[in-house]
Amino acid sequence: MSVTHRTPGGRRARGAPLTPRTAPYLLIAPFFVLFAIFGVFPLFYTGWVSLHDWDLISSGPHEFVGLENYRTLADDPDFRNAIVNTLGIFVLATVPQILIALGLAALLNQTLRARTFFRMGVLLPNVTSIAAVSIVFSQLFGREYGLVNYVLSLVGIDPVNWQAHKWSSWIAIATMVDWRWTGYNTLILLAAMQAIPSELYDAAKVDGATGFRAFRSVTVPMLRYTIMFVVVVATIGGIQLFAEPLLFDTSPASANGGAGREFQTIALYLYQTAFRSFDFGYAAAISWLLFLLVLLIAGLNALMVRRLGRGVR
Amino acid sequence: MSAQARPRPRRRRQPSAARNMTYVLLVLTVILSAFPIYWTFVVASSTNDIIADVPPPLTPGGHLQENVRAVFDNDSANFAKALVNTAIVSAVVSISVLVFSSLAGFAFAKMHFRGRNLALLLVIASLSIPMQLGVIPLYILMGKIGWNGDLKAVIVPFLVSAFGVFYMRQAISEAVPDELLDAGRIDGCGTLRLWANVVVPAVRPAAAVLGLFTFMMTWNDFLWPLVTLTPEDPTVQVSLATLASGYYQDYSLVLAGTALATVPLLVLFFVAGRQLIAGIMEGAVKG
Amino acid sequence: MEGIVRRRLGLGMVAALAVVLAACGGGSDSSTSSSTPAADTAPAASTAAAAAATTASTEPVTLTIDTFGDFGYKELIADYVKLHPNVTVKEIQQEYNQHHQQLAQHLAAGSGAADIVAIDEGFIVQFRSTPDQFVNLLDLGAGELKDRWLPWKWAASLSADGNTQIGLGTDVGGLAMCYRKDLVEAAGLPSDRDALSAMWPDWNAFIATGQKFQEAGTGVKWVDSATNMLNPIIAQQPVGYFDTSDQLVFDTNPGIKTAWDSTMDMISKDESAGLAAFSPEWNAGFKKGKFATVACPAWMMGYIKDQAPDTSGKWDVAAIPGGGGNWGGSFLAIPKESENPEAAYDLAAYLTAPEQELQIFKDTGNLPSLPALYTDPALTGFTNPFFSDAPVGTIFSDTAAALQPQFLGTKNGPVRQAVENVVREVENGSLSAEDGWEKASKAAAKAAG
Repeated sequence: MSVTHRTPGGRRARGAPLTPRTAPYLLIAPFFVLFAIFGVFPLFYTGWVSLHDWDLISSGPHEFVGLENYRTLADDPDFRNAIVNTLGIFVLATVPQILIALGLAALLNQTLRARTFFRMGVLLPNVTSIAAVSIVFSQLFGREYGLVNYVLSLVGIDPVNWQAHKWSSWIAIATMVDWRWTGYNTLILLAAMQAIPSELYDAAKVDGATGFRAFRSVTVPMLRYTIMFVVVVATIGGIQLFAEPLLFDTSPASANGGAGREFQTIALYLYQTAFRSFDFGYAAAISWLLFLLVLLIAGLNALMVRRLGRGVR
Repeated sequence: MSAQARPRPRRRRQPSAARNMTYVLLVLTVILSAFPIYWTFVVASSTNDIIADVPPPLTPGGHLQENVRAVFDNDSANFAKALVNTAIVSAVVSISVLVFSSLAGFAFAKMHFRGRNLALLLVIASLSIPMQLGVIPLYILMGKIGWNGDLKAVIVPFLVSAFGVFYMRQAISEAVPDELLDAGRIDGCGTLRLWANVVVPAVRPAAAVLGLFTFMMTWNDFLWPLVTLTPEDPTVQVSLATLASGYYQDYSLVLAGTALATVPLLVLFFVAGRQLIAGIMEGAVKG
Repeated sequence: MEGIVRRRLGLGMVAALAVVLAACGGGSDSSTSSSTPAADTAPAASTAAAAAATTASTEPVTLTIDTFGDFGYKELIADYVKLHPNVTVKEIQQEYNQHHQQLAQHLAAGSGAADIVAIDEGFIVQFRSTPDQFVNLLDLGAGELKDRWLPWKWAASLSADGNTQIGLGTDVGGLAMCYRKDLVEAAGLPSDRDALSAMWPDWNAFIATGQKFQEAGTGVKWVDSATNMLNPIIAQQPVGYFDTSDQLVFDTNPGIKTAWDSTMDMISKDESAGLAAFSPEWNAGFKKGKFATVACPAWMMGYIKDQAPDTSGKWDVAAIPGGGGNWGGSFLAIPKESENPEAAYDLAAYLTAPEQELQIFKDTGNLPSLPALYTDPALTGFTNPFFSDAPVGTIFSDTAAALQPQFLGTKNGPVRQAVENVVREVENGSLSAEDGWEKASKAAAKAAG
C-alpha cells in the first residue's frame, strides 16, 4: 500500500514500471517467455510427432496415425517392464535417501567440531559429473575386477554379476543415485532445520519432549514444506532416471539397460527407441506418457506429504 | 528445568556416547562420499592396465602428470578450451538463474495475483518434461536460428530454471517476514527495491545454495551439450566424451580428464563452500 | 543511498550478462562453415596424382571428416593437405554408436553433419534407404571408379533403385580366428596356425577343440563371448536375418537356427568367458588372457593391438571355422547438407584409393575392399609382427576374395542387437536355451518393426 513516493533525484517521477499490480506478472515473465520457447514448443512438437509414424532419418512426409502409437504402447511388455524398473529403482533409492538425509541433517544440526568439514564432505558427491561417476561405479560393480565383489569375496560371498539380475542392478543403481543426492538433500533439510525457532524446542522440552521425540513432534512437522519439496524433486528426478542406467550397462551403447532389460528405465527405453531404433513417433508417445506419469506421481506425493504434515501437529 | 550454567547455542547437552556415535557416523559418511572421487584420482594417476588388476588398486600410481599432459595434448578433445567455455557458460547461467529465479520466486511467495496458482502449477509441471525427447525439437529449433555448435545453445535455454523458481519460492516464503515487506511498502519502496533490500539479503544462504548447485549442474550437464556442441567448441563433458571415443577406452586417460574437469568445481566448492556454510550458520542463530 | 546502490548493482549484473552473451555469440561459428581462410594459401593448381578426376577448386576450404575408431587417416590426411594447400581438414573420432546416432540426428535436423561421414555396414542399410539425405556420388563421377571395388561392396551402399550411390567403400571385415599361442600351448594343443586351422574346419570341430582345451584345466576359457560366435556363423550363411525382399526370416531360416544351436552348444559346454563384446571387462580380458580365441575380422587386429600392447608376439591368426563370412566394413558418405561436396568427394576418393588403402592395411590391419589389391604382392606379402608374423595379407585377401555377400535388411542392426541381448541372457544363466529361442524370436520381430 504505497502512499507517497519519496523519490531522491526524481527517479520515480515518471511512474514506476513496476506497480504493485503489474509487478508480479513482470517478475515471472522472463521464466515464462523462455519456458514458452524452450519448454512448451518442444513439448507440443513432441506431442504432434507422437501422432505420426515418424522415422528419425527419413526426410519425407510422415504418415499420420492418430493414437496408434499409444495403443501399441499399452500392449508393449517392454514398456511395462520399464515402468516396473523405474518405480522399483525409484523407491529403493528415494526412501533411504530421504531418511538418511533427515538423519544426517539432524546430526549436523548441532555444535560439532569441524562442522564445516563434515557439511562439505557430505556435499562432495554432487560436485562430480554423472557420466564420470557412472563409469566409476560400473567399474566398482564389475563382475570380474570390481571392488565390491572383491570386498564381498573377503567375507566369503561369491562374486555377484551385478548387471545380470534385477535385484542386484537395482541396488547398484540406487546406490549410485543415493551417493550423489543424499548430501544435497541433507543440506536443504539442514538449512530449513536451522530456521526453526528455538522457542518451539523450549516449549517441547517443557512438555517433556526431548531428543528423538522432539525431532518427531517439532522438527519434522516444521520441515514439512521442505520435505515436500525434497520429495517432489526426488520423485521427478527418479522417474526420469536416465544417465545412471545408461552407463551402468556392460554395453552402454545399446541403451538396453542390461541384456534382458533388467534395469531399463522409462527414460532409457525412450532414448533407445528414439536413437537406436530411430522410431521417433513411438518415442514421442513414450515421452508424453512419462510426462503424465511424473505429473501424476508428483501430485500424489505432494498430497500425501501435505496430509502427513497436517496430521502431526 | 534448571538453566544451563554454560551458555550454549544448542539447547541441550548430549551424553558423550551419543556424541561419539555422531562423529563416527559422520566420518563414515564423509569417507563414503569421498571414496569414488578418490578412486578416480587413483585411476587417473595410473596406467590403463591396472583397471583389470585384482585386488583393485587403492593407492595412486605415479603417472598423473603424463596422463594430464596427454589430456591437454589431445587435439580432438580441445580440453583447455572446454574448461574456459564451461566456466563462462556455468557462470552466466548461474547468475542469470539467481536473478530471475529470485524475482519470480518473490512474486510467487509474497504477492497475490490472479492466476498465481495456475502459474505455479505450470512451473512445477515444466519440471516433469523429460529432457531426452525435448532434445530433438530443441535441436531443430537451434538449427533454424543457427545456434547449433554455438555456446548460446547451451546458455539461453537455461537462463531461468523452474527448479530455481520453485526453490526460491520456498526459501522466500520461509525466510522473508511479511512485516518487513509491509514496512518497506509503507516506506514507499517499489517492488524492485523491496527485492533488492529485503528479499535478497534474507535469502542469501538459499541463494548461495542455488547458485552453487546451478553452477555445478551446468558444469556437469552432459546430454544436451553432447547433442548440440561439436568437439571444436566444446564444454568439458563434450571434451570428455571425445577423450573416451574410439573403439577402445583408455580409462586412465578418461578419468584423468574427469579428474581435471572436477578440480575447478572442487576449488569453487572449497572456496565458496565456507561462505555457504557460514550463510547457513547465520540463519541458525535466530530469534 | 543503499537502495540505489543495490539497484545499480542489479542493473549492472544484467548489463554484464548482456555483454557476456554478446561476447559469447561471436566467433564460434567456424565449425562447419566453409570459407575459413587457410593460413598462407598459395593458390596452387591441384596436381595431386591420387585425386580422382574432379576439378578441385583452389579456394580455401575447410572440411570435416567424422569417423568412429581408427580408420588410419591421420597421416594420409596430412599428406593430402600437403598436396592441396588450400584445404584444411578436421578429423573427428567418436564412439561407434554415438557416431551413428549423431549422424541420424544431424540428418533429421538438417544441419551439423560433417562433410564426410563414415558409415558402418551395420547402419548402411538404414541410411541407404534414405538416399535423398546424401549427395549422389554418381553425380560427382563415382561411376568411373566403380570397378575399383568388390561388386557386392559397391552394391551395399547403392539406393534401392540403383540410381544413387551414397558411399565409397573403405574396408571389409573378412573373417579369421585370432588366438593366443601361449595359452593354447599351455593346454597341450598345437599352436601352429595351419595345424589349428586343420583342427577346426567347421564350428562343431571348433567347439570340440574347445573341449579339449578346457579339459586341460588352465582356467582360461576357449571363447571370449557367445555373441562373437553367433555373429560370424550368421555372417557365413547364404541368408541372414532378412531375405532379399526385406522380410524377417528368423523363424524359418535354417542358417539362423544352425548359428543359434551351435552357440547354445558352446555355452552349454561352458566354453565362454561371458564377457560382453566391447565392454570394459572384455577389453580387460585381452590384457588378462581370459580367453584363448576370438573371431577376428581384419579390423579386430588393430583393436587387439591397442587393447593389449603387452601381448605382442603372443597372438597368431588361423582360418575361421566354416570359412568365409563378412563382419563389418565401412563406407564414406557425404551428407546433402555439406557445403563443399566436390572438395569432400575429392578427399573421400583419395582416402579410398588403392595406394591409401594399402597403407591403411599396413598401419591398422583394416582390410581394403579393392580386389585389385588382393593380388598385389605388397599386400599379400605383408606379415604382422604383433601376430607372430602371420601372413595376414594372404589370409585375409583369400577370405575376401571368397566372400559371398549376404543381404542385410533395413532393420538388420536393431534385430542383431535384440538377438545378441537374448544370447547374453542365456550366457548369464538368466535364461534357458529353449526359452531363449522363443524370446529371441519375439525380440527380433519387435526390432524389425
